[in-house]
Amino acid sequence: MSIADHLIDPLEHGDNPPPSEPELRAGRKRMSKWELYSRRFARNRPALAGLAIFALLVVFAVLGPLFQKYDHIELDFLALSDPPNADHWFGTNNAGNDLYAMVVVGLQRSLMIAVVVSTGSTIISAVVGAAAAYFGGWIEKVSLFVIHFLMLTPTFLLLSMISNDSGGDWRVIALVLIFVSWFFAARTIWTLSLSLREREYIHAARYMGVPGITIVLRHMLPNIGSLLVINFTLGVVNAVVAETGLSFIGFGVKLPDVSLGSLIGIGASTVSSAPWLFYFPAAVLTLLTVSMALVADGLRDALDPTSAAGGRA
Amino acid sequence: MIRFLLRRTAGWLLMIVAVTNLTYFLAWGYLDPRANYVGRRPPLSEQEIVNLLEPRNLSDTVPLVTRWWNWISGIVLRWDWGVSPVGQSVNEQVAYRMWVSAELMLGATILLTLLGVGLGVYTASRQYKTADRVWQGISIVTMNIPVVVAALGIVLLAIALNNAVGERIFFVTGASSPGVEGLFPVLVDKLQHLVLPTLSLVLIGYATYHFLQRSLLLDNIKTDYVRMARAKGLTKQQAIRRHALRTSLIPVATQVAFSIPGIFTGAILTERIFAWEGMGKYFLDTITLNDIHGVVAIAAFSAVLTAIGAVLADIAVVILDPRVRVS
Repeated sequence: MSIADHLIDPLEHGDNPPPSEPELRAGRKRMSKWELYSRRFARNRPALAGLAIFALLVVFAVLGPLFQKYDHIELDFLALSDPPNADHWFGTNNAGNDLYAMVVVGLQRSLMIAVVVSTGSTIISAVVGAAAAYFGGWIEKVSLFVIHFLMLTPTFLLLSMISNDSGGDWRVIALVLIFVSWFFAARTIWTLSLSLREREYIHAARYMGVPGITIVLRHMLPNIGSLLVINFTLGVVNAVVAETGLSFIGFGVKLPDVSLGSLIGIGASTVSSAPWLFYFPAAVLTLLTVSMALVADGLRDALDPTSAAGGRA
Repeated sequence: MIRFLLRRTAGWLLMIVAVTNLTYFLAWGYLDPRANYVGRRPPLSEQEIVNLLEPRNLSDTVPLVTRWWNWISGIVLRWDWGVSPVGQSVNEQVAYRMWVSAELMLGATILLTLLGVGLGVYTASRQYKTADRVWQGISIVTMNIPVVVAALGIVLLAIALNNAVGERIFFVTGASSPGVEGLFPVLVDKLQHLVLPTLSLVLIGYATYHFLQRSLLLDNIKTDYVRMARAKGLTKQQAIRRHALRTSLIPVATQVAFSIPGIFTGAILTERIFAWEGMGKYFLDTITLNDIHGVVAIAAFSAVLTAIGAVLADIAVVILDPRVRVS
């Protein structure tokens, strides 16, 4: 605190002294950033419902195994293609697998892949997009060329070939999914970062001698943070859809490992004779994607810096 | 304008050639045509397999560079994209299947575009009223229903309906029934097969255009020139239709132009579920059958269509938007 802060110009405020700090706070309570975000988010009923459903699904995936009576690879030969009953809550398939246990494992697998993929592709797209915009020159040229090239490559074909070849290892699938899903977001981030590059605080940081990579990580990325959060949430939805689609056609997660997509794939072949094999995984999958989409929608409104509501909730 | 397009097209062509060749080598890395013959009864000897594969340019006993040279020279000199491990011509397959896909996708693309844009206009002129909120809720749910769930759900509903009526109104598999003749019966048969896959494609696809059109139109309703139109005495509906809607349709039109070539690449999951022998189904078959030439042809085909879509989008902007000047 410098001495200038204590000097008061007697003419500036006339007879009324300027309001002191505590007075200001009492008059209009300033909300913290997080309080503001959470209030705006909570005002959006569908988003709140989405968050609740998503939380329940996570709880189900984590605590579900505690309640199961059978393992997901265990075969009950006395109950083949049984509809839902007291013993097998979600029924069984034609080999005697307990569907409840399989749905829990499948949900874990799908969630795991989705979160890994979305985290990975958000980080890569943010760093590549912002770095390309900040550094310019050959870094920008190379990044944009790679992005445009990847847009033209048949990524789903690559994805199918590689994951089919890996024999359904979910870690390989996650890695390849990251590789094919970062570049669209990177291009959006590049466009946004172009205007960010010309801001005063970036210039200031550069003239202070802050190294380029630090400017990108400390000054540029936090300023597109809201976009990154939304990208992450939508990335989860996209990854779940891609993974389940891949597993459904038989190129993704393979038996004995299960994911929601492969379960639906199994259920699809018996959809008229044993529809419960389709109903349960399909319901869980739909709840997962729709709830995440609602959360993303709520976040978009809550984090919107151009919101008409200004600094208030 | 022409020069700009030519320059863009040349750039795209270079990228397409690069992508196609890259896919050729990648496909050889991950697919093995020899695997098709392993485990046959009676077992085939090594030499027999080579004898089968070599004339089809699919034998890994020949050096990769030679295989690549044979393949690329076949395309450049004779426009021959090679044969599958069982000897089917890739050219014929693609030429036939792209029309099957188009038959499925054309109607669906038109319907979902019209529905989405219409809903966007309807809800934007009623922002934050009940109708807007209800449609917003419906669209965000339908947009995020996974394709497989939507398609299989529709299949289940159709089966239930067929059973309730006691007659087959909707067919859940295939593009047409064999042995149907005459113009009118064929038309009815086509419709019976088309309704369900079209419905599932429209259900999950329309919401993108709904949200795009709604937000674009809302941006335009707030502009000065729409306020000016209101000030000179136009009703709100007239101002929206004559001034706001026109400008907001430009980005939507570019999006539509971009999606048009997609009707030929088909929809992998929808075609699989409804058993349509289109490009999407071909894609699955080529990978499971280690059909390297087929895989590469699909990659090249979809790359070309993506590029055409991008060029169409460029053209659409220049034609529709008087503010864009290309030198």
